[in-house]
Amino acid sequence: MWYIWDLSILLSALSLLIMLFLIARRLLRERRDSARAGQRRQLLTALIAFTEDRDRQTLKTTIFSVPPGVAIEAGFEFISLLRGEERDDVLVAFNECGLPALVGRQLERGNVAERIHAAEMLAALGSQNATASLLSALDQDRSREVRIAAAIALCDLGSLPLLGVALDKIGVAGQRSRRVIELFRRFPRTRFNELAIHASRVDAVPFIRAAAIDALARAGGFGFAAFFAGLAGDASPEVVAAALRALGLTGHADAPAILTSAMANDDWDVRAAAAESAGRLGLPELAPPLSKLLDDEVWNVRYAAANALRSFGQPGERLLRQIADSEVSRSQRTASLILAEGPAA
Amino acid sequence: MIADWSDEIVLAATILSWFIIAAGLAQTTIYLLQLVLAGYALSKRPPVARSALLWQRYGEVAPPIALLVPAYNEEVNVVESVHSMLALEYPNFEVIVVNDGSKDQTLQRLIEGFKLVKFHRPYEDALAHQPIRGLYSSPMTERLFVVDKENGGKADAQNAGINVCRAPLFCVIDGDSILEPDALMRAAQPFIDDPERTIAVGGTIRIANGSKIEAGRVREVHLPRRLLPLFQVVEYLRAFLMARLAWSSVNTLMLVSGAFGMFRRAEVVAVGGFTKGSMGEDLDLVIKLHRHMRDKKRKYRVQFIPEPVCWTEAPETLSVLARQRTRWQRGALECFFRYRAMFLNPRYGRVGFLGFGHIFIVDVLGPVAEVLGYILIPAFWLLGILSAEYLLAFTSLIFTYGVCVSVCSLILEEAELQRFPRARDLAVLTAAAVIENFGYRQLNNFWRVKGWWQFLRGNQGWGEMTRTGLGAAKK
Repeated sequence: MWYIWDLSILLSALSLLIMLFLIARRLLRERRDSARAGQRRQLLTALIAFTEDRDRQTLKTTIFSVPPGVAIEAGFEFISLLRGEERDDVLVAFNECGLPALVGRQLERGNVAERIHAAEMLAALGSQNATASLLSALDQDRSREVRIAAAIALCDLGSLPLLGVALDKIGVAGQRSRRVIELFRRFPRTRFNELAIHASRVDAVPFIRAAAIDALARAGGFGFAAFFAGLAGDASPEVVAAALRALGLTGHADAPAILTSAMANDDWDVRAAAAESAGRLGLPELAPPLSKLLDDEVWNVRYAAANALRSFGQPGERLLRQIADSEVSRSQRTASLILAEGPAA
Repeated sequence: MIADWSDEIVLAATILSWFIIAAGLAQTTIYLLQLVLAGYALSKRPPVARSALLWQRYGEVAPPIALLVPAYNEEVNVVESVHSMLALEYPNFEVIVVNDGSKDQTLQRLIEGFKLVKFHRPYEDALAHQPIRGLYSSPMTERLFVVDKENGGKADAQNAGINVCRAPLFCVIDGDSILEPDALMRAAQPFIDDPERTIAVGGTIRIANGSKIEAGRVREVHLPRRLLPLFQVVEYLRAFLMARLAWSSVNTLMLVSGAFGMFRRAEVVAVGGFTKGSMGEDLDLVIKLHRHMRDKKRKYRVQFIPEPVCWTEAPETLSVLARQRTRWQRGALECFFRYRAMFLNPRYGRVGFLGFGHIFIVDVLGPVAEVLGYILIPAFWLLGILSAEYLLAFTSLIFTYGVCVSVCSLILEEAELQRFPRARDLAVLTAAAVIENFGYRQLNNFWRVKGWWQFLRGNQGWGEMTRTGLGAAKK
């Protein structure tokens, strides 16, 4: 049993030695941090002065006088506050000082958090080499979070590869991230057809297809209404629910029939989406199927249906009151609750 | 000397000593494994440094969250706490304070502080709880709702809050805790990165004793001046940065603290919410979630984020700390025996082996074996029944490995996170990590054995948890 004792002494002594080293390192870092705070102040002062006098040479001298890390961090923070000509002028100065190249190196060699941040900075700096660095990250980075960040940055720079290619590079696991929704929302109008193609791919991840439909509905407008109507018959409930919500935003001549049919779907999310869209489109002719949904076994569906009826104005409220005054049932309780919603009398 | 005792006594003492040492070895092995896993996890995913970046990155796609705050007799701090919660940096959230039949002026303070008016809000009766007396909203902010209900305990209040909330995610916190302004954004990150599989997320809870607190915010981080909370700082580092991070990295996290935990509502409703009357309702819920997801054969993740998100007040007196620790021990035992069918059950995979194995070795066997060791092993050695080898082995497992594990969790913290602002703090914590093994650890184990005894006797009391109040924390 001596080895238990010996090993414990060895490990404890080692851990204490490492800790002492870390304390010493921290002491040094405290000094460095206070110096960095001063350098950061100096750079920010120079940047503010630059926005007034546009003296690029003075700014560049200051940028070269501070450590690259300070210049990158403070610089990125500063440009995120600027717009228009001021921002462009600062970016020119940053490019002339080679900051994008430094950020590019961070994109290759930093840890995951640093690499994601570097991708965002490259998009903001917009240098000539940014696209190449980001494409390389999208292609080769080990972390899916970095690959998504690179795709978003490329989208902002207008250099995203074809959507199918980009998503393949992001990988199947990455395609479950809500960050992809952001990527889709930033998509340029000129490439909406790629979103539509992806939304209709039956072999794609349903979450991604739903996100594409949502992005199209928010920005694409009525032009895609027929496309959404077609997707309302898809095999994936997630896609159908997204298509119904999209129809609720755009409207369509066949919407009443599609929504009525969806209200009888086996999936509760589809039924709830149909009820929501009926309310948003203001289709009083759907009052009968909606009043049936007041008895749905899932609360979310009942609540969506009741809200939809209420959104029809007086006819809907009249129907709700009728149901609320009827015999005690799930529908009656739902109608009573929704009518009572709001400040107490 | 050993020869003076009969062979039977020597054999019995040897077997007993082997059991004690084996339990200690198993516990130490688990800790060392956790250190390795936590170190790997931290090096793989260092935290995001600035909250402004988080907002920029996730603000657009952050899902709605309901913050559930059970409040019982919290008239002193409740208004300030709610103000600080309403000022959190998150794009889409609501605060639901559940007044759990307080006997003091908690509700009245809220009504006055936020000009509350009675409000009708339809909600789903998905979970059972004591009757709700009224719902209130505030004309000052549409983010705040107050649920006034009859007293039923913390789990009951949380269940009422879950019923009333409409967001797909909810976050439970203690009424007297302080959240970092970006806490929700950090905790929501796993739900954004992997929304289909993530069902629960826990965050690091830190001890606020000694820190400077103003207007419900921790303005300056300081270490506690008293020894007892200082030791708890080291304990929390071990618990959160080492144990939870390690098990989270292999999807075996068994505990998302009730002081700060974010959950997907649908799954929590599916498992029946928090178990009323449970001593460890947070541990109980996470075990139920594991069981449910594994039974349904669904892919899922219960995650832990190492960034500090929540500050709490640690007990400063022995009596209060003793009550807290005996309760925690009873909670762990209650959950272990309630869900014992999952222990070493291949159907539950790592959860059954690693997660339950941890509870079995650290919480079920650990305190009993260690306290027995303190009494028997020195006694056997003094009586000449056992050789010095046994004594040294036991001593090393308790003291020297104890120092190693505590210091190593501090190393993890400093190497990857650096949340303690001054080098002096690190030196103080290193000293505390050594000293706590000589006295504090033994005291803790004594309380845990007391918890075992209370569990066997069926004691279900929570005990009074006296707090001095963070708003009045020592500057």
